[in-house]
Amino acid sequence: MGRVILRRLFTMVPLLLLMSFFTFLFLSLAPGNFLSSIRMNPAYSEETIEMLEKQYHLDKDIVTRYLIWIKDIVRLDFGYSFTFKRPVGEIIGSRLLYTLLLSFSAFLFTWLIAIPLGIICALNRNKFLDKFISIFTFASLSMPSFFLALILLYFVSITNILPAGGFSSPGFEDMSLINKILDVLKHLIIPTFVIGITSMAGLIRITRGNFSEILSKEYVIAAKARGIGNFRVFYLHVLKNAINPLITIFGYNISSLLSGAALTEIICSWPGLGSIMLQAARSQDIYLVMTSMLIGGVMLILGNLTADILLVFNDKRIKIQTA
Amino acid sequence: MYKRFFILLILPILFLNFNSKVYSDEKPAYGGTLRLSTISDPKSFNPVIAQETSTTSITRYIFEGLLDQDVDTLEMKPHLAESWTKDKDGLVWEFSLKKDIQWNDGTPFTADDVVFSYNSLVYNENIPCSARDILTIKGKNIKVEKVDDHTIRFTLPSPFAPFLRTAGMVEILPKHAYEKYVNENKFNFAMSLNAKPEEIIGTGPFMLSEYKPGQSVILKRNPLYWKKSEIGRLPYLDKISFSIYGDEVAIIQFQQKNIDIYGVRGTDYPILKPLENKNDFTIYNLGPAFGSNFLTFNLNTSKNADGGSYIDKRKLDLFRKVNFRKAIAHAIDKEFIIDSVFNGFAQIQYSPVSPANTLFHNKETEKSFPYEYDPEKSKTLLSKCGLKDINGDKILDYPDGTTVEFNLFTNSGNKLREKICEIIRKDLETIGLKVNYRLLEFNYIVEKTLNTYDWDSIVLGFTGSIEPHFGANVWRSNGHLHMWHPKQEKPDFPFESEIDNIFNNALEIMDDGIRKKHYDKWQILAADNLPLIYTVVSQMLTAVDNRLGNVKPKTNGGVLHNIEEIYIKK
Repeated sequence: MGRVILRRLFTMVPLLLLMSFFTFLFLSLAPGNFLSSIRMNPAYSEETIEMLEKQYHLDKDIVTRYLIWIKDIVRLDFGYSFTFKRPVGEIIGSRLLYTLLLSFSAFLFTWLIAIPLGIICALNRNKFLDKFISIFTFASLSMPSFFLALILLYFVSITNILPAGGFSSPGFEDMSLINKILDVLKHLIIPTFVIGITSMAGLIRITRGNFSEILSKEYVIAAKARGIGNFRVFYLHVLKNAINPLITIFGYNISSLLSGAALTEIICSWPGLGSIMLQAARSQDIYLVMTSMLIGGVMLILGNLTADILLVFNDKRIKIQTA
Repeated sequence: MYKRFFILLILPILFLNFNSKVYSDEKPAYGGTLRLSTISDPKSFNPVIAQETSTTSITRYIFEGLLDQDVDTLEMKPHLAESWTKDKDGLVWEFSLKKDIQWNDGTPFTADDVVFSYNSLVYNENIPCSARDILTIKGKNIKVEKVDDHTIRFTLPSPFAPFLRTAGMVEILPKHAYEKYVNENKFNFAMSLNAKPEEIIGTGPFMLSEYKPGQSVILKRNPLYWKKSEIGRLPYLDKISFSIYGDEVAIIQFQQKNIDIYGVRGTDYPILKPLENKNDFTIYNLGPAFGSNFLTFNLNTSKNADGGSYIDKRKLDLFRKVNFRKAIAHAIDKEFIIDSVFNGFAQIQYSPVSPANTLFHNKETEKSFPYEYDPEKSKTLLSKCGLKDINGDKILDYPDGTTVEFNLFTNSGNKLREKICEIIRKDLETIGLKVNYRLLEFNYIVEKTLNTYDWDSIVLGFTGSIEPHFGANVWRSNGHLHMWHPKQEKPDFPFESEIDNIFNNALEIMDDGIRKKHYDKWQILAADNLPLIYTVVSQMLTAVDNRLGNVKPKTNGGVLHNIEEIYIKK
């Protein structure tokens, strides 16, 4: 098992190289560069722009620049952000916790509600409760998250019951610890709800599908016929068999922990990675974009690996191939 | 019964905690926090290399220049310098500095700091700063030297009319704090976002207190600030907090009374105006903005690598006819743009100089070249250019029968500009022109206009300034921002040669009255020949919470030009 994991981690390297090369290529092939906006500013002379181009190595060709980047990455130097004139690692570090906090809160909200609802649907298949929940899931599936966020912000603007975006209220510094926590929790509600609601629907559908499939399996009926209690049947026979696909989704969810909230973050002015990444991509702040791409790639691979390992633990029939 | 119950239910929501408050005392008082919002994080706290308003909108309260602009007359007035003299040719200027000024770390402010700011920062080739480009006169630097601790002498290589306006506004930085960065060639990375607040040292009314990435920047009162009022040292405010909010959130935060000032867009007006009394704020119309929105055509005759023109020859010849451009100007329904895009809060722009610039705007342009909306006139002008509808499809054709068709680009992300383009496209369709309108990323547009030249027409805007010479890169025929035909070796059209002369000559005229006459001529030439077809200029609306005192909004300077005098009413 340990060897397999090592092997998987090792195969990450060529994968990430390939990913990073293509990202770099596309970013460099896109018209213009980070200095384009200065070019359009009447106050800057061409000499100054040329000087900046040299400073940022933008006058070199793509391959040279990529190789320089790789060389730095090996030494864990992620480069400088052109915009902020600070190391990329520091910029991302300053935002990371906020994104994690929001993603984690949305993650909890989604799973704690979706799984029970999915199971309830499966147990009451085609009855009123199932249909009622299904209508709700279809509605939320078809609602884009940014739209839901805007509606909620509008609602808040009329009713004033919740803070409208941001991470904390003015005067946060002077609050007591308890009030600080409460204040942040209040600010978390809207973005958590938006991300949760829109990602919950899929999870409910999948849970419902799996559980109803297993519930109608012959061995479940047989177990019931043998007089095993409902709870035991559910726990021993149904649950273990039904959660495999959910574990895979769990893996994917891990991979989107740092990127899944971007759109909602931007609309709700949440101080996470979302807004600086959008800015970076639009202004072609190339090293910041490259690093966020790397993080995304690593998270995807790690997420999948975690899911695979969990699957082995849950279901002894599954083996990870060593070959 | 039910109805009454419903009203009872809804009443507390409507009148939730903010009823208009009557302020007992209208005298300035110390204390309190001014709460502002800003759309994105500052990129550093370094005012010398700052290129973006997200940075300068914060550093402007920390750093100051030798002079300041009077918000009413737009003339320069004393600030860190208390007076100045010049010789009769305007080549040697001496500034006397105020003597009681301290940096916010307690060190006295002296002439050494001024010399350092020019010679080691502005004129330092390793530091990218737009002030150097402006203060380089015919390729030469201004000589800046210390006469004594409180006197500075500037010696100019040749007369330079915008001298006061440019040199006076350069931010002065303390030598004792930043010299070491310059010596190590690290100044570009000094005062970055992770700097400690006490490392940001200025003379301004406020100083950095705290920066929380993605959330807020907080400035605190500089207790050593040099300006005083009759009741004591200014400023009155304890703190200014800038919350970083996106567009959608900022307006709601203002409605919830969590921020004090909100820049109202024309489309926000109907939402905010009815709340003025209930939420106790005032919407001010500050008048026209300094920026511009214009439509321009590619007139570039230079040859590409294959020896051909960058765009179709027939199209190029058409664009180069002044009657064609006049036809376009008459076809654009500017009143409709003002009503539908700006909700009425905009005005027609006739000249490259915004009407907000009372020093240099030429009112004559409006009378002589109004380009009133008149599609019939447009059609006549187009037929003079040899265009007519030959095959009866209601689209104009060249004399050889091919359809006239061109692209119209603008940058995505600027919603107002996008809407203006939609209207222009429709207006041009009315006079029989087939226009393919496309949105492009801003960087792509820059690439096309300044490097590859493969574009037909573009709608863009420039931010304006009071000093017309700052537009030299745009208006001189050899300028790299001379959009319609950049970097010409010799002027293409006669009017371009005339404008070149105006910009070169006016630069050396020290008499403001005579100088204005030159720039008046330029505005007439621009309006007559239409290399840029101006559309409308928006008006600046700002909503200000009535809890702020001493608020005196101005077209130039906005609401916060007198930040040190603004106070929170008790």
